Amino acid sequence: MGDNWGFVLAAYALAAIVLTGYWRHLVRRERELNAPVAGHPPGAPGAPPRQQ
Amino acid sequence: MTRVLGWLAALALLAGLGMAFAVAPREATQGTVQRIMYVHVPSVWVAYCAFVVVFVASIAYLATRAEAADRLAHASAEVGVLFTGLTIATGSIWGKPTWGTWWTWDARLTSVAVLFVMYVGYLLLRGMIDEGERAARYAAVLGVVAALNIPLVHFSVLWWRTLHQPPSLMKPGPSSMPPVIVRALLVNFAAFALLYLYFVAKRVRLLRLEGEAGA
Repeated sequence: MGDNWGFVLAAYALAAIVLTGYWRHLVRRERELNAPVAGHPPGAPGAPPRQQ
Repeated sequence: MTRVLGWLAALALLAGLGMAFAVAPREATQGTVQRIMYVHVPSVWVAYCAFVVVFVASIAYLATRAEAADRLAHASAEVGVLFTGLTIATGSIWGKPTWGTWWTWDARLTSVAVLFVMYVGYLLLRGMIDEGERAARYAAVLGVVAALNIPLVHFSVLWWRTLHQPPSLMKPGPSSMPPVIVRALLVNFAAFALLYLYFVAKRVRLLRLEGEAGA
């Protein structure tokens, strides 16, 4: 059987894209939740909770 | 703590890549394409672990109604779906050069597909119900029921005639793989397990923040 490097690279590239994509999604969502809402300074009523 | 886990996972993934490409030998029968195993097999093991965590956390939620248990089940299900999807995709890529097909409805592949759909359903169920406590309760019941599919997936290659090979490591008796391949596999499993812990810790925290923001 040939070496099929293309399949190996495809599998590892796919894993890298999927895992990095999910990590970026989590980081972006965390940033959104920690960002202060306009008109509500951090810590004020109505403002989202801050990172501890 | 979460950041430390993230760095540990990143370092372990690099070590795993080193083991898969520099340390583990080229497999005699399949050639280089067998190296897909170092991402495919750890993915499914981590998915199994993730769904066992969903099972245990769901039982804990039903017994105690603790929101922390519900958040853990939710986060673990989401990350488990991610790793199951990765298992199916990398398995399909491995299947084409070795079996000559991207997909076949054999017992292992079909049972993994059913497992994937069940936990996607679990996540959809959570999203469809607005009332938090009811969503958590229904999801917990599904989280317990869906776990029954895990042994079915694992033993499907032993109970039925399948194209998929039987387990080489997670089976009674000694491994049929050379020790260097087993070591490479275990390093990659450790890396994926650390990544799972990092993702779950981060997702649990996000769920708590989302709950507080919505309250």
